[in-house]
Amino acid sequence: MDPSANPPQPQSEAPRPQRPGHRDMMFCHECNDEWYRDEHGLTCPECGSDFTEIIEEGNDPRDSHMMDHDHESDNGSLPGFDGPPPLLPFFQPNPMRGADDPAEEDISSLQFRQVAPGRFTVTGTVYRDVSPMGRPAPAPPTENAGSQAPRALGGLTNFLTNIIGGALRGPQQQQQPQQQQPPGFQWNTEHADGQNNPGNDGNQQAHGGPESRPPGLPPGVHRFTYTAGARLLPRDPNNPGPRGEPVDELNNVIVGLMAALGEPPGPHHHDHFHSAGPVPINPLVHLFAQMLPGNGQFGDAVYSQEALDRIITQLMEQNTSSNAPGPAPQSEIDKLPRKAVSLEMLGAEGRAECSICMDEVNIGEEVTELPCHHWFHHACIAAWLGEHDTCPHCRKGITKQPENATNQGQAGGSSGPTAGSSSQGQMPGAFAGGEGTSDNPYVL
Amino acid sequence: MSSVAKKRILKEYAECSNDLPSGMKVIFDEANLTKWDVVMEGPAESPYAVCLELAMCFDKRSLMHQGGHFKLEINFPNDYPFKPPVVNFKTKVYHPNVSNDDKGSMCLGMLRPEEWKPPNKVISVLHLIQNLLVEPNIDDAIETSIANDYKTNRAEFNKTAQDWVKRYAK
Repeated sequence: MDPSANPPQPQSEAPRPQRPGHRDMMFCHECNDEWYRDEHGLTCPECGSDFTEIIEEGNDPRDSHMMDHDHESDNGSLPGFDGPPPLLPFFQPNPMRGADDPAEEDISSLQFRQVAPGRFTVTGTVYRDVSPMGRPAPAPPTENAGSQAPRALGGLTNFLTNIIGGALRGPQQQQQPQQQQPPGFQWNTEHADGQNNPGNDGNQQAHGGPESRPPGLPPGVHRFTYTAGARLLPRDPNNPGPRGEPVDELNNVIVGLMAALGEPPGPHHHDHFHSAGPVPINPLVHLFAQMLPGNGQFGDAVYSQEALDRIITQLMEQNTSSNAPGPAPQSEIDKLPRKAVSLEMLGAEGRAECSICMDEVNIGEEVTELPCHHWFHHACIAAWLGEHDTCPHCRKGITKQPENATNQGQAGGSSGPTAGSSSQGQMPGAFAGGEGTSDNPYVL
Repeated sequence: MSSVAKKRILKEYAECSNDLPSGMKVIFDEANLTKWDVVMEGPAESPYAVCLELAMCFDKRSLMHQGGHFKLEINFPNDYPFKPPVVNFKTKVYHPNVSNDDKGSMCLGMLRPEEWKPPNKVISVLHLIQNLLVEPNIDDAIETSIANDYKTNRAEFNKTAQDWVKRYAK
């Protein structure tokens, strides 16, 4: 489907579904305070003013404060949440017009906004004089240097294409009905070519936004507007499993950016890398880094050491099980010696307890002793060893493995925490049940 | 929930009542053993403390409204003590080791699943929490920006922490 042959679909008319887990942020026009609506309601908890507003995507009262607009937002009536989101309400003429870098000229506005802690939207409009469909097929690198695409963006787009490979969908595929688009991602492609697209003006009306085509834009120029949101989830140590509200798919974010840059989708000229020398440092990266000083993170990309640390910690949190020692084989647990509690096993006060159930033990009671000489009720320690091959006190394992084999055993155990006796034989790093703790652990 | 877990939680509660860290109170519901509500005063030597000068001027009852009281929730998993209890700050607190969201999660040290061992007791968890309010564990921070604040700009950290106490810890 050639985008230039079809009038754009008024996709932004569709109400934007409220995402699960979204919390309304409130903003006070009196004192610029911000808070969560569900915590403090509509009245400013700081100054008690009613002159407040819900911060929404596309309607961020903080912007007008910062820019000192004449335009006063409709504070009297709070904007209905289910209404169509105003698209690009702050269109401004391209401040970069006339700049040397062709890439900068094309990007008329690119806005990153933090709408709530950890929640971002990026909105941008890009004017391109290159049709996404019209881009010539893989060109020889020498010609590439003079091709229509902004030179500096070639490296990024190639790089992104390599990352997402076949998953990349082009703008023409994005022109599909709204329901096929992933949530949180909107796509609009418009054409400024008045000859082929007489409905152009009407469609802009339909958006209701103040945006207009900058004067002097030649026919054949395509305008892409995209909106993408990303929810950066804080770590949740209580529930590290899959989340109901995932971060926007990497693909969506990248596709949005790629289309904005006018790069044709699909298979790419990989020879670009070989002959074009080092990939040029992309100005966008610096741009992003400057735009995101707070947390240096956008979707799945990070731009600061701190943000990277955060992600790594998060990944480690989500995989804690692989850190923990695996279970001990049932046969080893069964082989642990039992003994009766004797006088010398009692503490200084003449009493002792099983440290797992905290029940007091009496002389003569049968307990199970680990190789490290710590003892417990058999049922108690068996339940623990069934999950972790460590002594609850000193963390020494009951399978007599040398240090370097321990890691192996842990790795194997993590994949099957409920490994029954039938599968122990195959556990890497574990000794075959029948042979017990052989002297040579390296028998294969 | 296993009877082992129930028995142990009851025993721990009995033990706790004699040995609670100062300024802590456990609200315990026999009908629901697995959830303990804890009210804790900010330790005196921390920025989370009740403002002492103010405290001098008021009697003890009004002191209760001066802030510095944090609500925590301790939830015991069904397979306690084989899994660690889960600690959440119900009161917002500006602290590197407490997640700055509506959960207020704490996950460090003995509370980590891979670090937990059954002989650990809730009472030591409570002591850990109190020690952390006095001295955050920067190397194990869950909120790196707050940790950074603590490391590089202690005055600012203390100020924000106190502001939050005034605002939230009533």
